[in-house]
Amino acid sequence: MRTTRRTLLASAAAIGTASAFRPLAALAQDARPDLVIAVDNLWETMDPVIGISTSGGRVHTNIFDTLVRRNRWEDPDGTELVPWLATSWERTSPTVWTFQLREGVKFHDGHVMDAEDVAFSISEQRLWGDEPDAPRGTRYVAGIVRVEAVGPLTVEVETERPDPSIPYRMVTPIGFVLPKHYYEEVGKDAFGQNPMGTGPYKLVSFDPSTELRAEAFDDYWNGPVPASSLTFRIVPEFSTRYAGLAAGEFDVIVNIPSDQIEQVRNTPGVRVMEKSIENYPMFAFNTLETEELPNNPLTDANLRKAMVSAIDREGIAAALWDGATFVPAPFNFPEYGDYYDEGRKARYGFDPERARELLAQSDYDGEELIWHIVRGFYPNYEVAAEFMVEQWRDIGVNVRIRIVDNFSLAYQRPFHLLNMSMSSEFSGDPYRPLWLDWGPNSSRATAAHKTWKPTERFLELGERFAAAQEFEERKAAYLDLVEEWENVTPGMYLWRNVVSYGVREDLDWDPGNDSVTVFDRLYMG
Amino acid sequence: MIGYVLSRLARAAITLLVTVTLVFIFIRFSGDPAAALAPPDAPQEVIEQYRRALGLDQPLWAQYTGYLGRILQGDFGYSIHSGRPALQVFLDRLPATLYLGGTALLIALVLGLSLGAIAALNRGKPIDRAVMGFSVFAFAMPNFLFGLGMILIGSLAFQVYLGGQGAGVLAPALTLGLASMGSYARFTRSSLLETINKPFMLAAEARGIPYRRRLIRHALPNASIPLVTLVGLSVGSLIAGSVVTEQVFAWPGVGQLLVRSVATRDIATVQFLVLAIAATMITANLIVDLLYLVLDPRIRVR
Repeated sequence: MRTTRRTLLASAAAIGTASAFRPLAALAQDARPDLVIAVDNLWETMDPVIGISTSGGRVHTNIFDTLVRRNRWEDPDGTELVPWLATSWERTSPTVWTFQLREGVKFHDGHVMDAEDVAFSISEQRLWGDEPDAPRGTRYVAGIVRVEAVGPLTVEVETERPDPSIPYRMVTPIGFVLPKHYYEEVGKDAFGQNPMGTGPYKLVSFDPSTELRAEAFDDYWNGPVPASSLTFRIVPEFSTRYAGLAAGEFDVIVNIPSDQIEQVRNTPGVRVMEKSIENYPMFAFNTLETEELPNNPLTDANLRKAMVSAIDREGIAAALWDGATFVPAPFNFPEYGDYYDEGRKARYGFDPERARELLAQSDYDGEELIWHIVRGFYPNYEVAAEFMVEQWRDIGVNVRIRIVDNFSLAYQRPFHLLNMSMSSEFSGDPYRPLWLDWGPNSSRATAAHKTWKPTERFLELGERFAAAQEFEERKAAYLDLVEEWENVTPGMYLWRNVVSYGVREDLDWDPGNDSVTVFDRLYMG
Repeated sequence: MIGYVLSRLARAAITLLVTVTLVFIFIRFSGDPAAALAPPDAPQEVIEQYRRALGLDQPLWAQYTGYLGRILQGDFGYSIHSGRPALQVFLDRLPATLYLGGTALLIALVLGLSLGAIAALNRGKPIDRAVMGFSVFAFAMPNFLFGLGMILIGSLAFQVYLGGQGAGVLAPALTLGLASMGSYARFTRSSLLETINKPFMLAAEARGIPYRRRLIRHALPNASIPLVTLVGLSVGSLIAGSVVTEQVFAWPGVGQLLVRSVATRDIATVQFLVLAIAATMITANLIVDLLYLVLDPRIRVR
C-alpha cells in the first residue's frame, strides 16, 4: 500500500542511528528535561479505546504504540504510513490482511510483545463483539470478522468484504497494542487507572483529578527517550495555565482561546503553535419535513444553495483565524493525498448575486429559521455564526441562533440548522467523511436528530464508491458522489478546526497538525 | 426542648429528600446523559449501550425508587468514566477541599474578628473607616477576579506561579476567605458595639471589673451569637463554596470534581456530590440550631 521503499528505508535508518547513539544518550541522561504539560482535562480512564477523547489522546501515544503510525514529524499532515509495532503488512487474500510484528518489543514490565497481545487488543470481546468492553471503538472496527494470531509474530485480520483501509485503521486508537497478560489479570477498570504499554514513557502515577506522571522507559525499542519524565497536569482555567507557562512552571500548555493568542505570543520566553487538525466544523440543513416542522422551507434545495452562496467563508475564516486554517471545498481534504485537488473549488462559493437568484427561485417567504449551536464546543463557531446571520439577512433570509448547553439539547426538534463537525479520519481515502458520515447508515440519515435522506443517486454512487478497489475508479466515483452531495447541499463546511499550544521557547517540539501530543525522539529535537 | 430538636431533625430529613428528588429530575431533563457521554458523532447503538449501562432504559419511577433504595443501603453508584464508586471519587478529593476551606475559614475568622474588634474599639476614628472600607472591598471583590489577578501578577511580575498545590495553600485560601473575612469584620464590629453599649456593661464597669476582662469575658460571648450563625453557614458551604477558587487555582478538590462531573454528565458522581453538599449544609444548620440551645437559654424554655 502506502509503505513505499523510501519510508521503510527511512525508518530503518532512523532506528539504526538511534541505537548507535544510545550510549551517548545514557551519559547525557541527567540533562534530559522533566516536562510538565498543563492540560484542561484528563480523561478518567487511560484505556486508549474506552478513553477515546482529545484529553486522552494527548497521553496515549506516550504510553502505548500503535501497529502503524503516520509520519507527522516530517510531514505535518502525515499522509504516509510508517511501520511501527508492525514491520510490514500485506493482503494475503481479498479479505485477509496479514501483519508481521516487530521482534523484541518490550512492555513496561519487561514482558515481550507478541501476536497474542495484538490479537487480544483487536479482539471480538474487547472491540467488535456484541456489547464489547470498549464500545467507543465500534466505528473503527466496522467490517472486521476475525482477528487471529497465526504465528508468534504474525496476525491476520479478516474483513467481511475486501477492505483496503485496514492498515490505515491501525493508526487509530484500535491499533494500540495492550499487554494481554496484564490486562486480563487486572481487568479493564484497573487497567484504565494503571495503564501499561510499550511506549516511550512508563506510568508512575495517575490520578484523573490531578495529574498523570510517567517516566522515560529506557528499554524502549525506539529510544532514546528525550525527556526524563512527563507530567500531564490538570489546570482548568486558561489564565492559570498561561501564568504557569509565563512563570516557567509549565513547558507546554494547550487550548489557548483564539482571542488570547496574540497576548501569549507576545510573552517573553514563550512560543505559540496553531495547528489545523483533521476535523471540520460545519452545519447541517434540516432537509426533512417532520411532525415538529411541517412546512420546512429548507426542503427546497434552492434555498439551501442560496444560503450557502450568501456566505463569505474565506473572509470569515481569515478574520477569525488569521491564516491558521483554511476553508475546504466539500470533502477536498489535504490528508487524502491523491484524492486532494488543490484547484477544486466549492460548486456554491461566495456569490451574493447568485444567492439572490437562487432565493428568488425558492418558495421561501421570510419565515424564521432556527440554528441550534452547542455553547463553546467549536472554537470561534458562535462568532462566525453571528457574521453568517448578518450575511443571510443581506439577501433576505431570517435566521435565529439558539445557543444550547449540550448536544442532546441541540438535537431536540424543531431546528432548521444544526451545528456539528466531521472528522476526516485517516483511511487513505474520503470513505468515512463522505460515505460513512452521510450514507444510508450514518447518524445524519438514521438518528433521532437526522437531517437528510440520501437521494437514490447518492446511494447508487456510494455503492459504486464502496465497491471500487482501484484508485482511478474510486476517485471517479468519489468525485461523482461529491457532485451529488453538492447538488443536494445538505450542509456546509466552515473551516478546518484549529488547536493551539503555548510552548517554552527553547523546547524543540512540534506535534504536526494534530491534537495528539507525542514526546518521543521523532517529535522532540 | 425535645420538640424543638425533633422538629429540626424532621426538617433536615425533608430537605434532604427534596434535594435528592430535584437532582434526580434535573439531571434527566437537562439533556440525555447517554448522548452526552458518547462522542457527538457516535452511532445510535453506542448511545443505546450507554443508556442500558446507566439504567436509563427503565421507566422513570423504577429508576427513582431504585435510586432511593440504593442510597438507603449506602450505595451511591459508580462514576461512569472511571468505574470507581462515586463515594470513593469524592473522598479522594475531600482532603484537598477541607484543607483549602479550613485554612480560608481560619484566615477569615482570625482577620475578620480582629479587624472587627479593632474597628469597634476605635469607633469613628480613621482606623475604623479604613477597616470598614477594606471590609466592603473584601466582601464585594469577586474571588475569580482577585484570584486571577493574584496569579497573573505573581507570574508576569515576579515569575512565581501561585496555582496548584505545589505553591501552597496561602494564595487560594486568601482568595476564598476574603469575602467572609469582610462580612465577619462588619458583623463583629456592629455586634460588639451593640453589646458594649448595653446596660450590663455599664454595671460591670461600675463593679470595678478591669477593661480587658469586661471585654473578653462579658462583651465577646454576648456579641458572638450572630457570628455563630454566620460561621455555621460558612462551615456548611465548606465543600461547595470553593468551586470557583479551585477552578482558578487548579486546586484538585471537590469543587473541580463537581464542575467536571456536570460537564461530562457523570450522573452518579453529580448526584452524590449534590447530596453530600446538601447534607453538609443541613448538618451545619442543625448544629447551629442546637448551639443556640447552649448559647441562648431563652430557646430552651420554649
